[in-house]
Amino acid sequence: MSTTTSVIDRLRGRIGVDGPEVTAPVEAGHVKRFAEAIGDPNPRWNKEVPPTFLVALAPVSLHLAEAEEYGKGWLNGGNRFEYLVPVLVGDVITARGHVADVYEKAGASGNLLFIIFETEYTNQRGDLVARLRGTMIRR
Amino acid sequence: MKVEVGQELPELLKHPTTRQLVQYAGAQGDFYEIHYDQAYAKTVALPGVILHGLLKAAFLGQLVTDWLGDRRKLVTFEVSYRGVDMPGHPYRCRGRISNVDGENVEVEVWGEDESGKRTTVGTATVLIDG
Repeated sequence: MSTTTSVIDRLRGRIGVDGPEVTAPVEAGHVKRFAEAIGDPNPRWNKEVPPTFLVALAPVSLHLAEAEEYGKGWLNGGNRFEYLVPVLVGDVITARGHVADVYEKAGASGNLLFIIFETEYTNQRGDLVARLRGTMIRR
Repeated sequence: MKVEVGQELPELLKHPTTRQLVQYAGAQGDFYEIHYDQAYAKTVALPGVILHGLLKAAFLGQLVTDWLGDRRKLVTFEVSYRGVDMPGHPYRCRGRISNVDGENVEVEVWGEDESGKRTTVGTATVLIDG
């Protein structure tokens, strides 16, 4: 239990600390491959991006080696997107992410560790285009 | 077009395959082995490879944007993953309007497995233009 506690304490120390900034162009070919992969033929995705595309531009979670000392594997608990400005093919998007919260909760088959990540996306004009909040679970 | 509480969105039926999971892993850049390596998936106590949560989110996103058309804007989209889904089984995406407040419309969305269990649930908020 002391090992578990220290993992959680170390992770809690990461709350609010910004991860590396990632900048990537929204390429037509990438959006096309993404739309094909999700099986969405909407011609709208020739110019705009599908609602979940931003997750393909930058990692949605920071790599937290210490989290892997807890449990056996990762599960995605949920995602929340907020859209402010449309993201178009040709835009250059910068993603800035941080750990927003870390906590442990009792699950049906043992304890689970919850890590909440938040990412803000801005375009080449500096406009905040979207926010993403994700819950990752170690089990 | 009339928008009323209780109105259902046209259903979207998906047929995910292991091939699609590999395709999605490449497109998203998420190479976690539980989505394509059967032996690895079993070592972390899963019954086999499972769908990416974000792929199920993308399916539900399509359900909403197919219904939206050009005159409505997606404002927020939130999903929560309640259960795992395996490739080779149909995945049924459904939605229903849960609130209408002037131009602001809230849509409850969910994905069902073959048994009708809601393994992904969520909410989309939409701004309707006129």
